[in-house]
Amino acid sequence: MRWLAAAAMMAVAMPAAALAVDLHRGGTLHLTASSGVDTLDPQISYNSQSTELFAAVYDGLATFPKAAGADNAVADLAEALPVPTDAGRTYRFILRPGIRFSNGQSLTVDDVAASLRRIFKAGSPTAGSFYGNIVGAQACLRSPADCTLAGGVVTDPAIRGITIRLVHADPEFLDKLAWTHASILPASAPPHDAGDTPLPGTGAYRIVSYDPHHGMLLDRNPYFHEWDAVAQPDGHVDRIRLDYGLDEEAEITAIENGQFDWMYENKPLDRLGEIAGRYTAQVHVFDLPSLYYLAMNTRQPPFDRLAARQAVNLAVDRRAAVLFMGGPGAMLPACTMLPRGITGHVPDCPSLGAGSPDRLRPDPVRARALVAASGTRGMRVILVVNASRNEDALGENLRETLSRIGWDAEVRSITPAVQFNYIQNSANKVQISLTGWDADYPGPADFLQVLFDCRNIHPGSNSSINISAFCDPAVQAMFDRANATPDTVSRAALWSAIDRRVMEQSPVAPLVQRRYVDFVSRRLGHYVNAGIYHMLFSQVWVQ
Amino acid sequence: MAMALLRRLGQTVLVLFGISVLVFLVFFATPGADPTARIAGRNASPETMALIRHQYGFDRPLPVQYERMMVSLFVTRDLTSFVDHGERVVPEVFRAAPVTLSLVFGAAIVWVLASIGMGTLATALRGSLVDRGLMILGLIGISMPVFWLGEVINLVTQSRMHDSWMFSWVPGLGYVPLTQDPVGWFKVLVIPWITLAILFIGIYGRVLRADLVAAYSEDFMRTAQAKGLSASRVLFRHGLRTSMITFVSLFGLDFAQLVGGGALLTEVVFGLQGVGRLTYQALSNLDLPLIMATVMYSAVFVVLANALVDILYVLLDPRVRDAG
Repeated sequence: MRWLAAAAMMAVAMPAAALAVDLHRGGTLHLTASSGVDTLDPQISYNSQSTELFAAVYDGLATFPKAAGADNAVADLAEALPVPTDAGRTYRFILRPGIRFSNGQSLTVDDVAASLRRIFKAGSPTAGSFYGNIVGAQACLRSPADCTLAGGVVTDPAIRGITIRLVHADPEFLDKLAWTHASILPASAPPHDAGDTPLPGTGAYRIVSYDPHHGMLLDRNPYFHEWDAVAQPDGHVDRIRLDYGLDEEAEITAIENGQFDWMYENKPLDRLGEIAGRYTAQVHVFDLPSLYYLAMNTRQPPFDRLAARQAVNLAVDRRAAVLFMGGPGAMLPACTMLPRGITGHVPDCPSLGAGSPDRLRPDPVRARALVAASGTRGMRVILVVNASRNEDALGENLRETLSRIGWDAEVRSITPAVQFNYIQNSANKVQISLTGWDADYPGPADFLQVLFDCRNIHPGSNSSINISAFCDPAVQAMFDRANATPDTVSRAALWSAIDRRVMEQSPVAPLVQRRYVDFVSRRLGHYVNAGIYHMLFSQVWVQ
Repeated sequence: MAMALLRRLGQTVLVLFGISVLVFLVFFATPGADPTARIAGRNASPETMALIRHQYGFDRPLPVQYERMMVSLFVTRDLTSFVDHGERVVPEVFRAAPVTLSLVFGAAIVWVLASIGMGTLATALRGSLVDRGLMILGLIGISMPVFWLGEVINLVTQSRMHDSWMFSWVPGLGYVPLTQDPVGWFKVLVIPWITLAILFIGIYGRVLRADLVAAYSEDFMRTAQAKGLSASRVLFRHGLRTSMITFVSLFGLDFAQLVGGGALLTEVVFGLQGVGRLTYQALSNLDLPLIMATVMYSAVFVVLANALVDILYVLLDPRVRDAG
């Protein structure tokens, strides 16, 4: 009887499902952006436009779920995600059978091994930070042309097996494998940045043409079949067309007029009210694992003194920062370095002290006392910000704050093309800077360890991501402990403790967490927001 | 003649060399401009930085880097961007050129016709209310910054009144190639043409009027009038032709700098992917190869236009012709 009922339900449900797919399949999704991605090479591109696009074009052994509300990496080209053995250092994958690249070639374990080597040969930005822990990776970093990853990546074609061995345990390694830079490409992919030449992928779409100043066209990968609807779902639209050339104001207007379905750029602040009020149904807002913060150089006076750094954390007005950066719809105040939505996040402001009734209210009196105690009162402090409307305004507000608590403060506004690298270089002797960090993958190490690991200080280099040059033996030991803890609950508690310790030492003053405001056309349906991929181009429909 | 051409060519090479050295040195003297970290991507390890530095040749001495850049810009023409990896900048500039040419040619026709009309009408009716009105209109045209005017026009035609009968024909911003759709090309460009032309109509109309009025006190004009020629013949055949000399030399320079990328603001505001917009993007991204390519392209046009203006002088002014 139960069987009969189930069969009857299926009979009703099946045609409806099939009908739904038929109705919405087809059409061209029309996107707009000011300009192109840095490169079409998925192993090198480091740009959120490409992360979003490549989600439907390339796959790794793992991926982040292409569905709403889930964060943890899932199996993609691998049949399942392995539980690591050998004290968390060995991962054994079995490759799915029958998958083909968009050029018709079958995917084999050799392609997987070659792609992992290519991360080093082609010089992926995260080669050192994400994959430098694979056995043999250090030799690959030193001499990319001779990279073999011998002992680190071992394949067994007979069982489609791939074994990856790490030097140390890394609980976030599967997240790193899910990141775009570990995309699997044909073994024949060139051992250098492919630039504006698209490489074959395994996803639902393929890149047909590209010009960084005019546009990009994607159509269906003719060899694609859906193997897992969460890892790489089949797409609704037949083509995705991306046109470059408009600025963000013109993009908003064009979407209002129905000329485009989606825009890449951040929505200009002066238009937020308009789109929220008049086009409410077309606006989607979600939290981003992304922070704006003040980085204080712990090797430059006055911020080589703990009291001075703590004073900044006490004095900044995070509510004002929210207003300057787009208002409560687009920003949340932040007082920890683990944003909301990331494992270990605690809704607390430890830097403000437990006694304060309103933890977001600045305390200039205590801050002034701390500045005086640090012996740096009257010192000249230069804050370096990006030359942009929002950051200039916020910078001016911060300058007033710094002046009020006892320093002779000044804002220096630098073109966004160089600011991020300028503030990293110790040779520029930057004291304090306003900067931001977006998660690559939603894990706590991608914030705390990347930004505060002693090994990420490279004096005199434009690439020294520990901008505060903060090196604390206690924090360093806690990183090692967290990475060696297999249990997820106790690991999360450890990351919270690291966050707290970092905030006590105050090498940074977090200000706001970004929320993403997406604005789509009236005809666009089935909006799905999936974590770092944002809106899924393969899942929306336009008819 | 051959000597004159050779001299021109020599001057051109010298100008290009000077500008390119200047652009190159200013770029490398800018703090934080070192492109290695930007190419390598954020949080790149020292080893990856070294790999990129070597691949792009940033580890070589500056003169060697300059020479390599010039060779790949002018000889092999395979210079690639620092921002859009693998993008060859020379073909990119040539792909952008038709957009700029379409914009500037159309605008030039509008402004030449309108300013000649305005200048001659104001001269013919000099002292009258029409004359004053036209001159004030010209001044207003000159005073409106082109990016502001463009944005306001966009606000009206694309947003606030887009659905009204007046502007519902206005297509979205961007460019449509002439070869693909001539009507679409015209529709997309007609508003940018007018926007870009307004400033020049004001300047040229006023300049022409001043020259024409001055011409009326010249002997040859009095002779023409004394011979009993009609007022319109005196104005157009004798007055306008000689008064066009300033007009033409101004036009040569303005036209050349616009074709070379000077219509940057108009192109940016209207989303036209021409040479100006390319220059704007290159500058805002500090993309040295693209900056170099667009600057060289622009310089070539300015030098060429100067040569053309010299030739036009000869045709227009009998004194120059006879002196030669």
